[in-house]
Amino acid sequence: MQARGHALVLSATAACLLPLLLQLPPSLGFGFGIAAVLIAIASWRRAMPFLLRLLIGIGMIVAIAVVAPGVGRDTACMVLAAMLALKPSETVSLRDGRSLAGFALFGPFAAFLLDQGPVSLVLALTAVLASLLALQQLANDEADVRPRAGSHWWQASTGVLRLLALGLPLALAAFWLFPRLPTPLWGLPNRVVAKPGLSDTMTPGGWLDLMNDDSPAARVQFFGAAPPRDQMYWRGPVLWNFDGRTWSQPKQLLNIPAAPLQPAGAGWDYQIEPEPTEQRQLIALDLPMQVPDGAFVSLDYSVRSSQPLNGVTRWRMRSAAPAAAEPELPEALRRLALQLPAGFNPRTLAMGRQWRREAGNDVQGNADAAIANRALAMIRREFGYTLNVPLAGRNEIDDFLFERKQGYCEHFSSSFVVLMRAAGIPARVVTGYAGGYRNPIGDYWLVLNSRAHAWAEVWLPRRGWVRVDPTAAVAPERVFDTLADRQPGRIGAFDGLVPVFNASDWLRRGWNDFVLGYDAQRQQRLFNPFGVDRIGSRELILLFTTIATLALAWMAWLIARGEREKDPLLRAWHRLGRRYSRQGRGREMHEPAQAWAERVAADVPRAGEHLRALSRRFSDARYAAVEPAALRRLLRDLAAHRP
Amino acid sequence: MIAALRRRMQSWMRPRQAEQLPVRLQRNRIYVLPTMTGLFFGLLLGTMGLGALNFNNNPALLLALLLAGAAQASLIAAHMQLSGVVVDAVAADPVPAGEPLRLRIALGALDQRLRRGLRIGHGEAHVHAAFDHNGGTVELPLPTARRGLLPLPRLVLSTVQPLGLARAWAYVWPQQTVLVYPAAESQAPPLPTPAGDAGRAQVTRAGDDVHHLRGYRAGDAPRTVAWKASARRDSLLVREYEQHRSDQLLLDWQLTSGLPYEQRIRRLARWVDDAEREGRRYALRIPGHAAIAMGLGAMHRHRCLRALALMPGEAVHD
Repeated sequence: MQARGHALVLSATAACLLPLLLQLPPSLGFGFGIAAVLIAIASWRRAMPFLLRLLIGIGMIVAIAVVAPGVGRDTACMVLAAMLALKPSETVSLRDGRSLAGFALFGPFAAFLLDQGPVSLVLALTAVLASLLALQQLANDEADVRPRAGSHWWQASTGVLRLLALGLPLALAAFWLFPRLPTPLWGLPNRVVAKPGLSDTMTPGGWLDLMNDDSPAARVQFFGAAPPRDQMYWRGPVLWNFDGRTWSQPKQLLNIPAAPLQPAGAGWDYQIEPEPTEQRQLIALDLPMQVPDGAFVSLDYSVRSSQPLNGVTRWRMRSAAPAAAEPELPEALRRLALQLPAGFNPRTLAMGRQWRREAGNDVQGNADAAIANRALAMIRREFGYTLNVPLAGRNEIDDFLFERKQGYCEHFSSSFVVLMRAAGIPARVVTGYAGGYRNPIGDYWLVLNSRAHAWAEVWLPRRGWVRVDPTAAVAPERVFDTLADRQPGRIGAFDGLVPVFNASDWLRRGWNDFVLGYDAQRQQRLFNPFGVDRIGSRELILLFTTIATLALAWMAWLIARGEREKDPLLRAWHRLGRRYSRQGRGREMHEPAQAWAERVAADVPRAGEHLRALSRRFSDARYAAVEPAALRRLLRDLAAHRP
Repeated sequence: MIAALRRRMQSWMRPRQAEQLPVRLQRNRIYVLPTMTGLFFGLLLGTMGLGALNFNNNPALLLALLLAGAAQASLIAAHMQLSGVVVDAVAADPVPAGEPLRLRIALGALDQRLRRGLRIGHGEAHVHAAFDHNGGTVELPLPTARRGLLPLPRLVLSTVQPLGLARAWAYVWPQQTVLVYPAAESQAPPLPTPAGDAGRAQVTRAGDDVHHLRGYRAGDAPRTVAWKASARRDSLLVREYEQHRSDQLLLDWQLTSGLPYEQRIRRLARWVDDAEREGRRYALRIPGHAAIAMGLGAMHRHRCLRALALMPGEAVHD
């Protein structure tokens, strides 16, 4: 391999490796990046000794085993990154260079399996460009092509860009029309290292990571009215079980369908597009009344999909505020909703029991409502909101309710539910998101991860489950330390940047919509606008073949166009010659125009006479100056003449 | 087996027989197939595409398709590199058998496209060419084995431009023949002395001192170099004595009797070269060819060597 080709292959490998490294755990990504650079430098002249390569390889495998103790998609990507970093150590010949430039393209591919965001996208495009440039340079090296003087880089890039542009129609036709798999052929375990997102457990004090994450969790478009922002409660996992520290979902309830709901009011019709979480949990506004196929509303009205959310999906739902949610509570559920771990938080339990004694008991549930209101009033009177919370002790809820009196939604909701249960009121914690941000461009709502929230639900006789948000009860003057205080750069902090943010998120949503969320179902509905309900796979294949053929023909035409003679006079003249050669009287290459005309005239006198005049005029136009008008006339006559 | 298949394939490919130049390469005689790199690349893209479809990962699918589109375009571009190329003419100066023949190939194009990385070859021998619509010439060294008229082989014009993923190739089979001189015998006895035919010898022109200078040719004896004159001219000059030997040579086939047939031809070829180098006029008389009269110089040498080269094979003789 020559130096220039070698350098380009190494840069292409680097460009391909970069998006992948960014997806790995930072320590590993950084380490592999450094290793790749060192290996490339050390093996510039000649391949590294085998033993050294083996040692480095083993070192990398050990590093991977330490960081990711499990088999999953991200582990596979780590191994790929290690291979890519190591491969330059033995890249010497032209053939090695070519296989490396090709193999490296798995880098951006693997990065896309882990992340489909705009950064990966831009890096992947750069990587593609670099790889093709390297391949082109290797082809030049092989054929001993010297770069022409002048802007060599630009020329090389335009060559590759031209190929990409030529291939684009074919690629797009294949993308929209190539038959998709409705279900995967094989599965690979998901990421071993999970991304933050709503989980099915909650440990008070554990959410700060999630709340610091300003990325969108979902985008929502309303068809018709939207609820007021302070009424937007996006329901996620509902947590019943409490072991003194951690709230969790009772697995046995997940597959029991929800009881029918009596809606109060018209409700809201909306489409929700959650970001991929690789979990099955969906979120829904308030209480979901209707969900599409593939989603399931479980007993506690939390919505789950039948497949993990690996890609962008869209869910059309209908929700409403309930008039009564599950007004009859079965005894088993009642017990579950009152369960408390023994030996934790004695002061809270005592206070709950005391409140119950003071309120008394009635079948109507007025006493229960009074107890709940008493708790809210206490919060409003004495409690403050802060993110600055010390580590939890054994009796975390006692600490919070009686000593600290400061915390955030996790503390408020869990303490409230424990207090209610202590007072004999069935209660549960609901996690999800609260509020939303309306993007005026595109008119949709954004639910950010930082709006993760936890609230409570209590069961009251005849009214069923009622939402209570103890955090909202905090008096505004006692909100001390919020996210807005901690991160002054958030949305809305710089008014000037808001339109930029809006526009970029709108673009992101379009990308999600047109590219990421495109699947077999969307493909079948591709022709809905043209009145075609569904297209079967046979029609799809036929259509794909047709359009692919057209795209290929277009490519061939575009490339062949370079062959066209630039001079219109010569073009017309050659065309004339071709018409004659169809009859076997074409002009020979060595034949001057006049001689040819004479030969034809000797053969076919009448047409030849005309041709003789034309070829004289052609020679005049070629070798003497003629006026533009005469040239135009000649062009017309040449085009009109038939043998 | 594979070799037989390959031969069969070759016999299908155009042109199937030698043809008159100029030849224009057109789509009906241009073949395109992926290279090994191209096949590897295809496998890679197939894997990517299947993986992307499996995980319904659209950016990954788009990435694979984008690359596939570019690869497809490079296939067509490789075809277009050859399409429109015109092989205008081929020519070669005769060389002794065994030395490579430098086949000059004049190339042109009917369109404006820049041709880069075109490889012209036959067997192991190849040369790279790059030219635009103004055309260009390349020299392809072809090995020669025996004297006589050498029919030109089927030449392969090929390219792996622009990405090395596909190889486009076309055959050109010029109907021309090129002449290969007999290889001169390496260990030959000195030139024969004119045997007592002084009567037939022409009148010697006078004077060893009447001479002129000519440029140095390989093989000139150092003592003939005119050092003083050379120093003034910055190039080596050699004194050429006109008629510095009175004798004239008749190189006769009979002089070589007793040798094997081909050896006789090679010896005569050597004597022609020796006589040329020594500047002695010579004539050649061989069977089956009109006698070549006394003469000297490049044209004369060519005439003699041509006659020797074209002598029939041994079986025909005697």
